[in-house]
Amino acid sequence: MIEIKDLRFIAPESDAEDRRRAIVDGIDFRFEAGKFYGITGPNGSGKTTLAKLIMGIVEPTSGTILMEGRDIGNLSVAERARAGISYSFQNAARFKGITFRDLLSIAAGTEDEDKLAAIIARVGICSMDFLDKPVDAKLSGGEIKKIELATTIARNPKVAIYDEPDTGIDLWTIGPMVDLLKREQREYGVTTLVVSHNRAFLEAADAIVLIRDGGIAYSGGFEGALPILTDLSVCGYGDICEGESDVRCYR
Amino acid sequence: MFDAIDKQLLKEVADLEAIPKGAYNIRKNGKLLGREVSANINIENNPEGNGIIIRVAPNTVNESVHIPVILSQAGLHDTVYNTFIIGEDSDVTIVAGCGIHCGGSKSEGHEGIHEFRLERGARMRYVEKHVALGEGTGKRILNPTTRVFMKQDSYAEMELTQLGGVDHARRVNEAEVGPGASLMITERVLTEKDQQAKSENELILSGEGSRANMVSRSVIKGDSRQDFYVNLIARAKCFGHIECDAIIMDNGVNETIPALKAQHPDAELTHEASIGKIASDQLMKLMSLGLDYDEAVNRIIQGFLK
Ligand SMILES: Nc1ncnc2c1ncn2[C@@H]1O[C@H](COP(=O)(O)OP(=O)(O)OP(=O)(O)O)[C@@H](O)[C@H]1O
Ligand SMILES: [Mg+2]
Repeated sequence: MIEIKDLRFIAPESDAEDRRRAIVDGIDFRFEAGKFYGITGPNGSGKTTLAKLIMGIVEPTSGTILMEGRDIGNLSVAERARAGISYSFQNAARFKGITFRDLLSIAAGTEDEDKLAAIIARVGICSMDFLDKPVDAKLSGGEIKKIELATTIARNPKVAIYDEPDTGIDLWTIGPMVDLLKREQREYGVTTLVVSHNRAFLEAADAIVLIRDGGIAYSGGFEGALPILTDLSVCGYGDICEGESDVRCYR
Repeated sequence: MFDAIDKQLLKEVADLEAIPKGAYNIRKNGKLLGREVSANINIENNPEGNGIIIRVAPNTVNESVHIPVILSQAGLHDTVYNTFIIGEDSDVTIVAGCGIHCGGSKSEGHEGIHEFRLERGARMRYVEKHVALGEGTGKRILNPTTRVFMKQDSYAEMELTQLGGVDHARRVNEAEVGPGASLMITERVLTEKDQQAKSENELILSGEGSRANMVSRSVIKGDSRQDFYVNLIARAKCFGHIECDAIIMDNGVNETIPALKAQHPDAELTHEASIGKIASDQLMKLMSLGLDYDEAVNRIIQGFLK
């Protein structure tokens, strides 16, 4: 569905403008149609950058991105959205004077109340009375993530990219959220890319893609990823980590 | 004489498609075009002959007054002094505003000085829209002033809007908020081309338990300029907040100076101010939902000025 070839993003170091660093360092990968991918890796390893490169939010230094065999490298963000890619931001934008209803209507291409209600029912994790909430600085971290998720699903995408959809989400909602993304994958054949540190998402995935230092350190089944995931060089918490089963921590 | 241009202006400034319900006073090119009073709301000329006095009887609820002004005569500069007396425990909506149509090369202007006296427990919603239309090259000048005097436990909500077309504006708002009274002002101004707008505000919280909240939203396009000044002065135990945001597009310039002045130890005054371009994360979000760049910009500005 999405194929990336020798994709590179090189940027100046944030502390020294004259030094440059490959943040995404020549990645080759094929995301197969209808599959669910769990993308993980340490903080700062390049996961968000990779996701943004696919959506067109960040322009690559070099490399190719194909969608269904077509080069989408020259498409703008809006054009990629219309081609069927939808995207949940790790840090969701906050507006002034724009409500959840506005975003959902834009995403779904309709203002019809019944249709919006149907989307909210399908998403399940946010209620109807969310609809007229302003998407502004007052929304809680969890609320805004639910809105991100709903607007992503409302696009009826072929490819859905979720960048850490679970940050700020309460314990009671994580399970339903995983189920929702699996259901979307099953029922609509959505190719699903979830960036997450959360075991629940990684276990639900058909394949894990482990990013380290801007490259793919591993890709394949969850079990096969375990040894690398538990490696202390990946887990930034070292000694204070209470172990994989208790804290659901796979950093 | 009432023509198609007048109709359009009235629609723009007062959302009127027909003669409004309730009391109204419509002024065109410096002259009275029509007036209607109601049992509870009286409108009469002031003794100086340069404006009107609107008196809302105590306990009048759910009534409205429309007092639009339209201007379509080249070279005319019209000044009016209107006084509003809002009786005790009443609850009314006042729709004001001025529409200018400029078809020629001579400038046209309007200065409306509106003074409000809110009696004990009175509630008022004041909606004022300023627009300018027409193909002419003459400058369109609109200088509105509001002065609000609020007695105990009164409440005023003011929505002041100027969305494009006005070349020159000097907007002045002054208020004195009495004990337990609350004032909410929202001002939205959009300028483009080489238009200039200045907003000067002085809000005095003089009564115990008084509150004031001023929200200013500016969009500065083209080579236009907008300046926003507010003095929030506390003379009692009170609560005041200012929120001013300016979005700069193209080559616009802006100066925003909010000032908080506590002259009482129990005053609580806060402000938030920001000036900047449209946030790129907002643009990216809307574009990721399928909107083109221009559509995304429009939606953000629309929401911001809503
Ligand atoms: N445009 C840029 N210019 C310079 N440095 C950048 C740029 N974008 C990202 N970086 C840097 O690249 C690194 C990878 O960032 P990225 O956001 O992709 O990490 P991540 O894997 O998503 O991390 P996290 O798990 O914390 O979300 C970081 O060190 C970041 O500071
Ligand atoms: Mg990230």
